[in-house]
Amino acid sequence: MNFTLAGIFAVLSHAIPPFLPLILAILALLVLAQLIGRLRGYRLTDYRCLPAGIAALLAGLSTLWWLPMLTYSRLGLVATLTDWAALIAAALGVALITWLVLHPLSYLVRGPRGQ
Amino acid sequence: MTPPLESPRLDRRQLLKLSIGAGAAALMPLSGLQANTVSTRARIVILGGGAAGMSMANRLAMRLSGARITVVEPRETHHYQPGWTLVASGVWQPDRTLRLNADFMPRGIDWIRQPAVGVDADERRITLADASTLTYDILVVATGLQLNYHRIEGMSTDLIGNHGIGSVYAGPQEAARTSDAIDKWLAIGGGQGLFTNPQTAIKCAGAPIKMAFTTQSRIKITGNRDDFALDYFTPSDGMFSQPWINDFLKQRFDRDNIARHHGQYLSAIDPQARQAEFTGRDGNTETRDYDFIHVVPPMSAPDFVKASDLIAKEGAFAGEWLDTDIYTMQHNRYPEVFGIGDVIGAPINKTAASVKAQAPVVEENIAAFLEDKPLPARHNGYTSCPLITDIGTAMLVEFGYDNDMAFMPSFSFIDPKEESWAAWVLKDYMLQPAYYAMLEGRV
Repeated sequence: MNFTLAGIFAVLSHAIPPFLPLILAILALLVLAQLIGRLRGYRLTDYRCLPAGIAALLAGLSTLWWLPMLTYSRLGLVATLTDWAALIAAALGVALITWLVLHPLSYLVRGPRGQ
Repeated sequence: MTPPLESPRLDRRQLLKLSIGAGAAALMPLSGLQANTVSTRARIVILGGGAAGMSMANRLAMRLSGARITVVEPRETHHYQPGWTLVASGVWQPDRTLRLNADFMPRGIDWIRQPAVGVDADERRITLADASTLTYDILVVATGLQLNYHRIEGMSTDLIGNHGIGSVYAGPQEAARTSDAIDKWLAIGGGQGLFTNPQTAIKCAGAPIKMAFTTQSRIKITGNRDDFALDYFTPSDGMFSQPWINDFLKQRFDRDNIARHHGQYLSAIDPQARQAEFTGRDGNTETRDYDFIHVVPPMSAPDFVKASDLIAKEGAFAGEWLDTDIYTMQHNRYPEVFGIGDVIGAPINKTAASVKAQAPVVEENIAAFLEDKPLPARHNGYTSCPLITDIGTAMLVEFGYDNDMAFMPSFSFIDPKEESWAAWVLKDYMLQPAYYAMLEGRV
Protein backbone atom coordinates (compact mmCIF):
# COMPACT_ATOMS: atom_id res chain seq x y z
CA MET A 1 0.00 0.00 0.00
CA ASN A 2 1.64 3.16 -1.17
CA PHE A 3 0.92 6.63 0.08
CA THR A 4 1.11 9.64 -2.24
CA LEU A 5 2.59 12.88 -0.97
CA ALA A 6 -0.94 14.28 -0.72
CA GLY A 7 -1.95 11.18 1.21
CA ILE A 8 0.90 11.68 3.67
CA PHE A 9 -0.22 15.26 4.27
CA ALA A 10 -3.79 14.05 4.72
CA VAL A 11 -2.62 11.64 7.42
CA LEU A 12 -0.50 14.33 9.08
CA SER A 13 -3.51 16.65 9.13
CA HIS A 14 -5.03 14.20 11.61
CA ALA A 15 -1.81 13.17 13.37
CA ILE A 16 -0.40 16.60 14.24
CA PRO A 17 -3.32 18.48 15.91
CA PRO A 18 -3.26 16.54 19.20
CA PHE A 19 0.44 17.42 19.60
CA LEU A 20 0.20 20.96 18.31
CA PRO A 21 0.16 22.68 21.73
CA LEU A 22 3.31 20.80 22.74
CA ILE A 23 5.06 21.53 19.44
CA LEU A 24 4.14 25.22 19.66
CA ALA A 25 5.27 25.44 23.29
CA ILE A 26 8.67 23.95 22.47
CA LEU A 27 9.06 26.20 19.44
CA ALA A 28 8.07 29.26 21.48
CA LEU A 29 10.60 28.38 24.17
CA LEU A 30 13.29 27.87 21.57
CA VAL A 31 12.59 31.09 19.69
CA LEU A 32 12.21 33.18 22.84
CA ALA A 33 15.45 31.91 24.36
CA GLN A 34 17.37 32.56 21.16
CA LEU A 35 15.73 35.91 20.50
CA ILE A 36 16.18 37.35 23.98
CA GLY A 37 19.74 36.03 24.10
CA ARG A 38 20.61 37.68 20.81
CA LEU A 39 19.09 40.97 21.91
CA ARG A 40 21.42 40.82 24.94
CA GLY A 41 24.49 40.10 22.83
CA TYR A 42 24.46 36.28 22.75
CA ARG A 43 26.08 34.62 19.74
CA LEU A 44 25.76 30.87 19.33
CA THR A 45 29.27 30.33 18.02
CA ASP A 46 31.06 32.76 20.31
CA TYR A 47 29.76 31.64 23.69
CA ARG A 48 31.08 28.56 25.53
CA CYS A 49 29.08 26.81 28.24
CA LEU A 50 30.02 23.27 29.26
CA PRO A 51 27.05 22.76 31.68
CA ALA A 52 24.57 23.49 28.88
CA GLY A 53 26.33 20.92 26.73
CA ILE A 54 26.30 18.33 29.52
CA ALA A 55 22.62 19.01 30.27
CA ALA A 56 21.78 18.60 26.58
CA LEU A 57 23.72 15.34 26.47
CA LEU A 58 21.87 14.03 29.53
CA ALA A 59 18.52 15.11 28.08
CA GLY A 60 19.36 13.27 24.87
CA LEU A 61 20.44 10.13 26.71
CA SER A 62 17.35 10.23 28.91
CA THR A 63 15.26 10.04 25.75
CA LEU A 64 16.35 6.43 25.38
CA TRP A 65 14.46 5.74 28.60
CA TRP A 66 11.42 8.00 28.56
CA LEU A 67 10.44 7.94 24.90
CA PRO A 68 9.76 4.17 24.78
CA MET A 69 7.98 4.52 28.14
CA LEU A 70 5.88 7.40 26.83
CA THR A 71 4.74 5.08 24.02
CA TYR A 72 3.77 2.30 26.49
CA SER A 73 6.91 0.37 25.55
CA ARG A 74 10.39 -0.03 27.02
CA LEU A 75 13.99 0.11 25.86
CA GLY A 76 14.22 -3.67 25.89
CA LEU A 77 11.66 -3.83 23.06
CA VAL A 78 13.62 -1.43 20.85
CA ALA A 79 15.09 -4.10 18.65
CA THR A 80 15.39 -3.48 14.94
CA LEU A 81 17.68 -1.19 13.00
CA THR A 82 14.70 1.05 12.25
CA ASP A 83 13.78 1.14 15.94
CA TRP A 84 17.26 2.25 16.92
CA ALA A 85 17.56 4.75 14.06
CA ALA A 86 14.24 6.34 15.11
CA LEU A 87 15.15 6.40 18.79
CA ILE A 88 18.63 7.81 18.22
CA ALA A 89 17.22 10.45 15.87
CA ALA A 90 14.73 11.43 18.56
CA ALA A 91 17.49 11.53 21.19
CA LEU A 92 19.64 13.74 18.97
CA GLY A 93 16.67 16.03 18.37
CA VAL A 94 15.95 16.34 22.08
CA ALA A 95 19.64 17.00 22.82
CA LEU A 96 19.84 19.68 20.11
CA ILE A 97 16.67 21.47 21.21
CA THR A 98 17.75 21.32 24.85
CA TRP A 99 21.14 22.80 23.95
CA LEU A 100 19.58 25.52 21.78
CA VAL A 101 17.39 26.55 24.72
CA LEU A 102 19.86 26.19 27.59
CA HIS A 103 22.82 27.75 25.80
CA PRO A 104 21.33 31.25 25.44
CA LEU A 105 19.62 30.94 28.84
CA SER A 106 23.00 30.24 30.40
CA TYR A 107 24.37 33.36 28.70
CA LEU A 108 21.49 35.41 30.08
CA VAL A 109 22.16 34.10 33.60
CA ARG A 110 25.94 34.14 33.61
CA GLY A 111 26.60 37.04 31.30
CA PRO A 112 29.25 37.05 28.56
CA ARG A 113 31.93 35.33 30.69
CA GLY A 114 32.34 32.47 28.27
CA GLN A 115 32.94 34.68 25.25
CA MET B 1 -35.95 11.33 4.90
CA THR B 2 -33.24 13.38 6.53
CA PRO B 3 -32.47 16.66 4.75
CA PRO B 4 -28.99 17.20 3.31
CA LEU B 5 -26.45 18.30 5.89
CA GLU B 6 -26.06 21.98 6.41
CA SER B 7 -22.65 23.52 5.92
CA PRO B 8 -20.89 23.08 9.24
CA ARG B 9 -19.01 25.90 10.95
CA LEU B 10 -15.29 25.27 10.99
CA ASP B 11 -13.61 24.76 14.33
CA ARG B 12 -9.87 25.28 14.91
CA ARG B 13 -9.03 21.67 14.15
CA GLN B 14 -10.91 21.78 10.86
CA LEU B 15 -9.19 25.03 9.93
CA LEU B 16 -5.83 23.44 10.63
CA LYS B 17 -6.75 20.44 8.53
CA LEU B 18 -7.83 22.71 5.71
CA SER B 19 -4.56 24.61 5.79
CA ILE B 20 -2.51 21.43 5.79
CA GLY B 21 -4.79 20.02 3.10
CA ALA B 22 -4.25 23.12 1.00
CA GLY B 23 -0.51 22.54 1.25
CA ALA B 24 -1.04 18.96 0.25
CA ALA B 25 -3.16 19.96 -2.72
CA ALA B 26 -0.40 22.22 -3.92
CA LEU B 27 1.99 19.30 -3.82
CA MET B 28 -0.41 16.72 -5.21
CA PRO B 29 0.92 14.99 -8.31
CA LEU B 30 -1.04 15.96 -11.40
CA SER B 31 -2.08 12.35 -11.96
CA GLY B 32 -3.97 12.43 -8.68
CA LEU B 33 -6.15 15.23 -10.00
CA GLN B 34 -6.86 13.60 -13.31
CA ALA B 35 -9.39 10.99 -12.19
CA ASN B 36 -12.35 11.72 -14.45
CA THR B 37 -15.32 13.33 -12.80
CA VAL B 38 -18.37 11.46 -13.99
CA SER B 39 -21.60 13.33 -14.58
CA THR B 40 -24.62 11.27 -13.66
CA ARG B 41 -28.09 11.52 -12.20
CA ALA B 42 -27.83 8.04 -10.71
CA ARG B 43 -29.38 7.33 -7.33
CA ILE B 44 -26.67 5.77 -5.24
CA VAL B 45 -27.42 4.21 -1.87
CA ILE B 46 -24.63 3.29 0.50
CA LEU B 47 -25.69 0.89 3.24
CA GLY B 48 -23.54 1.64 6.26
CA GLY B 49 -21.45 4.58 7.44
CA GLY B 50 -18.55 2.71 8.99
CA ALA B 51 -15.03 2.53 7.60
CA ALA B 52 -16.19 1.25 4.20
CA GLY B 53 -19.42 3.22 3.86
CA MET B 54 -17.92 6.53 4.92
CA SER B 55 -14.91 6.10 2.62
CA MET B 56 -17.22 5.36 -0.29
CA ALA B 57 -19.51 8.29 0.53
CA ASN B 58 -16.58 10.70 0.39
CA ARG B 59 -15.00 9.14 -2.67
CA LEU B 60 -18.22 9.04 -4.68
CA ALA B 61 -19.19 12.56 -3.58
CA MET B 62 -15.89 13.81 -5.02
CA ARG B 63 -15.93 11.61 -8.11
CA LEU B 64 -19.53 11.83 -9.28
CA SER B 65 -21.12 15.07 -10.37
CA GLY B 66 -24.90 15.26 -10.06
CA ALA B 67 -25.35 11.88 -8.41
CA ARG B 68 -27.94 11.59 -5.65
CA ILE B 69 -26.04 9.83 -2.89
CA THR B 70 -27.72 8.50 0.23
CA VAL B 71 -25.95 6.99 3.22
CA VAL B 72 -28.02 4.77 5.50
CA GLU B 73 -26.34 4.84 8.90
CA PRO B 74 -28.26 4.97 12.21
CA ARG B 75 -25.31 5.76 14.49
CA GLU B 76 -24.17 9.29 15.30
CA THR B 77 -20.85 8.04 16.66
CA HIS B 78 -18.05 6.59 14.58
CA HIS B 79 -16.06 3.77 16.17
CA TYR B 80 -12.36 3.38 15.45
CA GLN B 81 -12.48 -0.37 15.93
CA PRO B 82 -8.76 -1.08 15.31
CA GLY B 83 -8.15 0.74 18.61
CA TRP B 84 -10.25 -1.62 20.68
CA THR B 85 -7.44 -4.14 21.24
CA LEU B 86 -5.48 -1.28 22.80
CA VAL B 87 -8.48 -0.41 24.98
CA ALA B 88 -8.88 -4.04 26.07
CA SER B 89 -5.15 -4.16 26.81
CA GLY B 90 -5.35 -1.17 29.15
CA VAL B 91 -3.31 1.09 26.86
CA TRP B 92 -6.07 3.39 25.52
CA GLN B 93 -9.19 4.85 27.05
CA PRO B 94 -12.36 3.97 25.10
CA ASP B 95 -13.12 7.61 24.30
CA ARG B 96 -10.04 7.72 22.11
CA THR B 97 -11.82 5.46 19.62
CA LEU B 98 -14.90 7.65 19.25
CA ARG B 99 -15.66 10.48 16.82
CA LEU B 100 -18.83 11.93 15.41
CA ASN B 101 -19.95 10.60 12.05
CA ALA B 102 -20.87 14.18 11.22
CA ASP B 103 -17.13 15.03 11.23
CA PHE B 104 -16.64 12.85 8.16
CA MET B 105 -19.96 12.84 6.31
CA PRO B 106 -19.53 14.70 3.00
CA ARG B 107 -21.70 17.67 2.13
CA GLY B 108 -24.52 17.36 -0.34
CA ILE B 109 -25.51 13.79 0.44
CA ASP B 110 -28.56 12.48 2.25
CA TRP B 111 -27.80 10.84 5.58
CA ILE B 112 -30.61 8.62 6.77
CA ARG B 113 -30.24 8.02 10.48
CA GLN B 114 -32.04 4.72 10.78
CA PRO B 115 -31.16 1.13 10.02
CA ALA B 116 -32.00 -0.71 6.85
CA VAL B 117 -34.08 -3.81 7.45
CA GLY B 118 -34.51 -5.25 4.01
CA VAL B 119 -33.17 -5.36 0.46
CA ASP B 120 -35.17 -6.32 -2.60
CA ALA B 121 -32.44 -6.73 -5.15
CA ASP B 122 -34.78 -7.46 -8.04
CA GLU B 123 -36.78 -4.29 -7.43
CA ARG B 124 -33.66 -2.30 -6.42
CA ARG B 125 -35.37 -1.26 -3.23
CA ILE B 126 -34.21 -0.83 0.38
CA THR B 127 -36.66 -1.01 3.27
CA LEU B 128 -35.86 1.09 6.34
CA ALA B 129 -36.79 0.52 9.99
CA ASP B 130 -39.77 2.89 9.75
CA ALA B 131 -41.10 0.85 6.78
CA SER B 132 -40.24 3.59 4.28
CA THR B 133 -38.35 2.57 1.18
CA LEU B 134 -35.48 3.79 -0.95
CA THR B 135 -34.82 2.89 -4.54
CA TYR B 136 -31.42 2.88 -6.15
CA ASP B 137 -29.57 2.64 -9.43
CA ILE B 138 -26.32 1.68 -7.69
CA LEU B 139 -26.13 0.01 -4.30
CA VAL B 140 -22.97 -0.12 -2.21
CA VAL B 141 -23.28 -2.71 0.54
CA ALA B 142 -20.98 -1.59 3.33
CA THR B 143 -22.96 -2.75 6.33
CA GLY B 144 -20.09 -4.36 8.15
CA LEU B 145 -20.86 -7.61 9.86
CA GLN B 146 -23.02 -8.91 12.65
CA LEU B 147 -21.67 -10.31 15.92
CA ASN B 148 -23.58 -13.48 16.79
CA TYR B 149 -22.88 -13.88 20.49
CA HIS B 150 -26.24 -15.65 20.74
CA ARG B 151 -24.81 -18.61 18.85
CA ILE B 152 -22.74 -19.38 21.96
CA GLU B 153 -25.16 -20.91 24.44
CA GLY B 154 -25.31 -18.88 27.64
CA MET B 155 -23.37 -15.92 26.24
CA SER B 156 -24.51 -12.32 25.87
CA THR B 157 -22.70 -8.98 25.72
CA ASP B 158 -24.14 -8.06 29.15
CA LEU B 159 -21.76 -10.58 30.66
CA ILE B 160 -18.63 -8.89 29.37
CA GLY B 161 -16.62 -7.59 32.30
CA ASN B 162 -18.33 -9.95 34.77
CA HIS B 163 -17.71 -13.59 35.73
CA GLY B 164 -14.22 -13.42 34.21
CA ILE B 165 -15.59 -12.83 30.71
CA GLY B 166 -13.95 -10.49 28.22
CA SER B 167 -14.56 -9.77 24.53
CA VAL B 168 -12.82 -7.11 22.52
CA TYR B 169 -15.30 -7.10 19.65
CA ALA B 170 -18.56 -5.91 21.20
CA GLY B 171 -17.76 -2.20 21.51
CA PRO B 172 -15.45 0.34 23.15
CA GLN B 173 -17.06 0.09 26.59
CA GLU B 174 -17.03 -3.70 26.38
CA ALA B 175 -13.35 -3.54 25.43
CA ALA B 176 -12.71 -1.43 28.54
CA ARG B 177 -14.65 -3.92 30.64
CA THR B 178 -12.51 -6.67 29.12
CA SER B 179 -9.45 -4.86 30.43
CA ASP B 180 -11.11 -4.63 33.86
CA ALA B 181 -11.85 -8.36 33.80
CA ILE B 182 -8.18 -9.05 33.05
CA ASP B 183 -7.16 -6.80 35.94
CA LYS B 184 -9.45 -8.73 38.28
CA TRP B 185 -7.89 -11.97 37.12
CA LEU B 186 -4.39 -10.62 37.66
CA ALA B 187 -5.39 -9.58 41.18
CA ILE B 188 -6.21 -13.22 42.00
CA GLY B 189 -2.55 -14.01 41.41
CA GLY B 190 -2.98 -17.00 39.13
CA GLY B 191 -5.39 -19.32 37.38
CA GLN B 192 -6.66 -20.41 34.00
CA GLY B 193 -7.16 -18.10 31.00
CA LEU B 194 -8.91 -19.27 27.84
CA PHE B 195 -8.77 -17.49 24.46
CA THR B 196 -11.31 -18.61 21.90
CA ASN B 197 -12.10 -18.39 18.19
CA PRO B 198 -15.41 -19.14 16.48
CA GLN B 199 -16.12 -21.48 13.59
CA THR B 200 -16.77 -18.54 11.22
CA ALA B 201 -14.69 -15.90 9.49
CA ILE B 202 -14.02 -12.95 11.80
CA LYS B 203 -13.01 -9.34 11.43
CA CYS B 204 -9.49 -8.37 12.50
CA ALA B 205 -8.43 -12.00 12.62
CA GLY B 206 -5.33 -11.00 14.57
CA ALA B 207 -7.32 -9.62 17.52
CA PRO B 208 -7.75 -12.92 19.40
CA ILE B 209 -4.00 -13.48 19.09
CA LYS B 210 -3.23 -9.93 20.20
CA MET B 211 -5.45 -10.39 23.25
CA ALA B 212 -3.51 -13.51 24.23
CA PHE B 213 -0.19 -11.71 23.83
CA THR B 214 -1.17 -8.47 25.59
CA THR B 215 -2.75 -10.39 28.46
CA GLN B 216 0.49 -12.32 28.79
CA SER B 217 2.36 -8.98 28.85
CA ARG B 218 0.27 -7.83 31.78
CA ILE B 219 0.79 -11.15 33.56
CA LYS B 220 4.57 -10.88 33.14
CA ILE B 221 4.52 -7.50 34.89
CA THR B 222 3.12 -9.21 38.00
CA GLY B 223 6.21 -11.43 38.06
CA ASN B 224 4.08 -14.56 38.43
CA ARG B 225 3.84 -15.84 34.85
CA ASP B 226 4.18 -19.46 35.97
CA ASP B 227 1.06 -19.16 38.13
CA PHE B 228 -1.11 -18.32 35.11
CA ALA B 229 -2.07 -20.91 32.48
CA LEU B 230 -3.01 -19.60 29.03
CA ASP B 231 -4.84 -21.79 26.53
CA TYR B 232 -5.76 -20.75 22.98
CA PHE B 233 -8.54 -22.46 21.01
CA THR B 234 -9.14 -22.31 17.28
CA PRO B 235 -11.32 -24.48 15.06
CA SER B 236 -8.71 -24.43 12.28
CA ASP B 237 -5.35 -26.13 11.97
CA GLY B 238 -3.61 -22.81 11.55
CA MET B 239 -3.17 -19.61 13.51
CA PHE B 240 -3.08 -17.02 10.72
CA SER B 241 -3.71 -16.78 6.97
CA GLN B 242 -0.21 -15.63 6.03
CA PRO B 243 2.00 -18.75 5.99
CA TRP B 244 5.20 -17.25 7.44
CA ILE B 245 3.30 -15.54 10.25
CA ASN B 246 1.34 -18.74 10.85
CA ASP B 247 4.58 -20.66 11.47
CA PHE B 248 6.00 -17.82 13.56
CA LEU B 249 2.92 -17.72 15.78
CA LYS B 250 2.92 -21.47 16.37
CA GLN B 251 6.54 -21.31 17.48
CA ARG B 252 5.96 -18.19 19.53
CA PHE B 253 2.96 -19.65 21.36
CA ASP B 254 4.93 -22.80 22.12
CA ARG B 255 7.92 -20.80 23.33
CA ASP B 256 5.70 -18.63 25.56
CA ASN B 257 3.91 -21.67 26.94
CA ILE B 258 0.51 -20.64 25.56
CA ALA B 259 -1.11 -24.01 24.88
CA ARG B 260 -2.66 -24.33 21.41
CA HIS B 261 -5.85 -26.35 20.88
CA HIS B 262 -6.76 -26.76 17.22
CA GLY B 263 -10.07 -28.03 15.91
CA GLN B 264 -12.16 -26.70 18.80
CA TYR B 265 -14.56 -23.79 19.14
CA LEU B 266 -16.49 -22.31 22.07
CA SER B 267 -20.07 -23.60 21.92
CA ALA B 268 -21.44 -22.79 25.39
CA ILE B 269 -20.54 -20.93 28.54
CA ASP B 270 -21.74 -21.11 32.14
CA PRO B 271 -20.80 -17.75 33.67
CA GLN B 272 -21.79 -18.63 37.23
CA ALA B 273 -19.75 -21.82 37.28
CA ARG B 274 -17.01 -20.23 35.15
CA GLN B 275 -17.03 -23.16 32.77
CA ALA B 276 -16.72 -23.15 28.99
CA GLU B 277 -17.79 -25.89 26.62
CA PHE B 278 -15.76 -26.51 23.49
CA THR B 279 -16.92 -28.56 20.53
CA GLY B 280 -14.44 -30.49 18.42
CA ARG B 281 -14.54 -31.53 14.78
CA ASP B 282 -16.07 -34.85 15.73
CA GLY B 283 -18.93 -33.08 17.51
CA ASN B 284 -17.79 -34.18 20.94
CA THR B 285 -17.75 -31.54 23.65
CA GLU B 286 -15.28 -30.85 26.41
CA THR B 287 -15.84 -28.59 29.45
CA ARG B 288 -13.09 -26.48 30.91
CA ASP B 289 -12.89 -24.30 34.00
CA TYR B 290 -11.61 -20.77 33.63
CA ASP B 291 -10.76 -17.70 35.67
CA PHE B 292 -10.73 -15.48 32.59
CA ILE B 293 -12.06 -16.18 29.12
CA HIS B 294 -11.76 -14.04 26.00
CA VAL B 295 -14.79 -14.75 23.84
CA VAL B 296 -14.75 -14.16 20.09
CA PRO B 297 -18.29 -14.45 18.73
CA PRO B 298 -19.32 -16.13 15.48
CA MET B 299 -19.80 -13.48 12.80
CA SER B 300 -21.85 -13.15 9.62
CA ALA B 301 -23.43 -10.61 7.32
CA PRO B 302 -26.32 -8.78 9.04
CA ASP B 303 -29.59 -10.71 9.14
CA PHE B 304 -31.35 -8.44 6.63
CA VAL B 305 -28.56 -9.03 4.12
CA LYS B 306 -28.66 -12.75 4.81
CA ALA B 307 -32.42 -12.70 4.16
CA SER B 308 -31.96 -10.96 0.80
CA ASP B 309 -31.03 -12.23 -2.62
CA LEU B 310 -27.64 -10.57 -2.24
CA ILE B 311 -26.29 -13.30 0.02
CA ALA B 312 -24.02 -15.97 -1.46
CA LYS B 313 -26.08 -18.95 -2.57
CA GLU B 314 -23.28 -21.50 -2.90
CA GLY B 315 -19.65 -22.05 -2.03
CA ALA B 316 -17.72 -21.28 1.13
CA PHE B 317 -19.68 -18.11 1.85
CA ALA B 318 -23.18 -19.48 1.20
CA GLY B 319 -25.85 -18.11 3.49
CA GLU B 320 -23.41 -16.04 5.52
CA TRP B 321 -21.67 -13.39 3.40
CA LEU B 322 -22.31 -11.06 0.47
CA ASP B 323 -21.86 -12.71 -2.93
CA THR B 324 -19.11 -10.50 -4.31
CA ASP B 325 -16.38 -10.86 -6.91
CA ILE B 326 -13.36 -10.49 -4.63
CA TYR B 327 -11.36 -8.72 -7.35
CA THR B 328 -13.82 -6.25 -8.91
CA MET B 329 -15.98 -5.96 -5.73
CA GLN B 330 -19.08 -6.21 -7.96
CA HIS B 331 -21.92 -8.47 -6.89
CA ASN B 332 -21.78 -11.79 -8.73
CA ARG B 333 -25.44 -11.70 -9.78
CA TYR B 334 -26.59 -8.08 -9.50
CA PRO B 335 -24.15 -5.94 -11.47
CA GLU B 336 -25.50 -2.66 -10.05
CA VAL B 337 -24.53 -3.82 -6.55
CA PHE B 338 -21.01 -3.48 -5.15
CA GLY B 339 -19.73 -4.76 -1.82
CA ILE B 340 -16.94 -3.49 0.36
CA GLY B 341 -15.56 -4.21 3.80
CA ASP B 342 -16.39 -6.85 6.35
CA VAL B 343 -19.68 -7.94 4.77
CA ILE B 344 -18.21 -9.47 1.61
CA GLY B 345 -17.39 -13.12 1.20
CA ALA B 346 -13.61 -13.20 0.86
CA PRO B 347 -10.90 -15.50 2.18
CA ILE B 348 -9.21 -12.64 4.06
CA ASN B 349 -9.90 -8.90 4.14
CA LYS B 350 -12.08 -8.12 7.13
CA THR B 351 -9.89 -5.21 8.23
CA ALA B 352 -9.90 -1.43 7.92
CA ALA B 353 -6.67 -1.71 5.92
CA SER B 354 -8.52 -3.82 3.36
CA VAL B 355 -11.14 -1.09 3.05
CA LYS B 356 -8.36 1.37 2.25
CA ALA B 357 -7.33 -0.83 -0.67
CA GLN B 358 -10.87 -1.73 -1.76
CA ALA B 359 -12.37 1.77 -1.75
CA PRO B 360 -10.45 3.10 -4.79
CA VAL B 361 -11.33 -0.12 -6.66
CA VAL B 362 -15.05 0.24 -5.93
CA GLU B 363 -14.95 3.94 -6.82
CA GLU B 364 -13.19 3.28 -10.12
CA ASN B 365 -15.46 0.40 -11.04
CA ILE B 366 -18.68 2.27 -10.18
CA ALA B 367 -17.49 5.18 -12.32
CA ALA B 368 -16.83 2.76 -15.21
CA PHE B 369 -20.16 0.99 -14.68
CA LEU B 370 -22.01 4.29 -14.87
CA GLU B 371 -20.29 5.01 -18.17
CA ASP B 372 -21.11 1.52 -19.43
CA LYS B 373 -17.44 0.58 -19.64
CA PRO B 374 -15.67 -2.62 -18.55
CA LEU B 375 -14.63 -2.56 -14.92
CA PRO B 376 -10.94 -1.56 -14.96
CA ALA B 377 -9.86 -1.93 -11.32
CA ARG B 378 -9.02 -5.07 -9.38
CA HIS B 379 -8.48 -5.54 -5.67
CA ASN B 380 -5.31 -7.47 -4.91
CA GLY B 381 -6.50 -8.71 -1.55
CA TYR B 382 -4.32 -6.32 0.41
CA THR B 383 -4.86 -6.51 4.12
CA SER B 384 -2.84 -5.50 7.13
CA CYS B 385 -2.54 -6.58 10.73
CA PRO B 386 -0.35 -4.70 13.15
CA LEU B 387 0.23 -7.88 15.15
CA ILE B 388 0.94 -6.90 18.74
CA THR B 389 3.20 -9.56 20.26
CA ASP B 390 3.83 -7.73 23.54
CA ILE B 391 2.59 -4.40 24.88
CA GLY B 392 5.21 -2.14 23.33
CA THR B 393 6.15 -4.10 20.22
CA ALA B 394 4.37 -5.28 17.07
CA MET B 395 4.86 -6.76 13.62
CA LEU B 396 3.42 -4.80 10.70
CA VAL B 397 2.02 -7.71 8.72
CA GLU B 398 0.71 -6.72 5.27
CA PHE B 399 -0.18 -9.24 2.60
CA GLY B 400 -2.58 -9.99 -0.26
CA TYR B 401 -4.02 -12.78 -2.39
CA ASP B 402 -1.12 -13.31 -4.75
CA ASN B 403 1.85 -15.66 -4.44
CA ASP B 404 0.43 -17.62 -1.53
CA MET B 405 -0.45 -14.48 0.39
CA ALA B 406 3.00 -12.97 0.02
CA PHE B 407 3.97 -9.97 2.14
CA MET B 408 3.17 -6.53 0.69
CA PRO B 409 5.09 -4.15 2.97
CA SER B 410 4.21 -0.47 2.72
CA PHE B 411 7.45 0.69 4.27
CA SER B 412 10.77 -0.69 3.08
CA PHE B 413 12.30 0.14 6.45
CA ILE B 414 9.89 -2.03 8.46
CA ASP B 415 10.40 -5.77 8.03
CA PRO B 416 7.08 -7.64 8.45
CA LYS B 417 9.00 -10.58 9.93
CA GLU B 418 10.47 -8.55 12.79
CA GLU B 419 8.93 -7.49 16.09
CA SER B 420 9.50 -3.78 16.23
CA TRP B 421 8.95 -0.81 18.50
CA ALA B 422 8.55 1.36 15.38
CA ALA B 423 5.63 -0.83 14.21
CA TRP B 424 4.09 -0.46 17.68
CA VAL B 425 4.43 3.32 17.54
CA LEU B 426 2.80 3.27 14.09
CA LYS B 427 -0.11 1.27 15.52
CA ASP B 428 -0.37 3.48 18.59
CA TYR B 429 -0.06 6.90 16.92
CA MET B 430 -0.22 6.83 13.10
CA LEU B 431 -2.78 4.27 11.98
CA GLN B 432 -5.70 6.15 13.51
CA PRO B 433 -4.86 9.36 11.61
CA ALA B 434 -4.43 7.25 8.46
CA TYR B 435 -7.85 5.71 9.13
CA TYR B 436 -9.52 9.11 9.44
CA ALA B 437 -7.85 10.29 6.24
CA MET B 438 -9.22 7.14 4.62
CA LEU B 439 -12.74 7.98 5.81
CA GLU B 440 -12.38 11.33 4.09
CA GLY B 441 -11.39 9.56 0.88
CA ARG B 442 -8.00 11.28 0.90
CA VAL B 443 -5.81 8.17 1.06
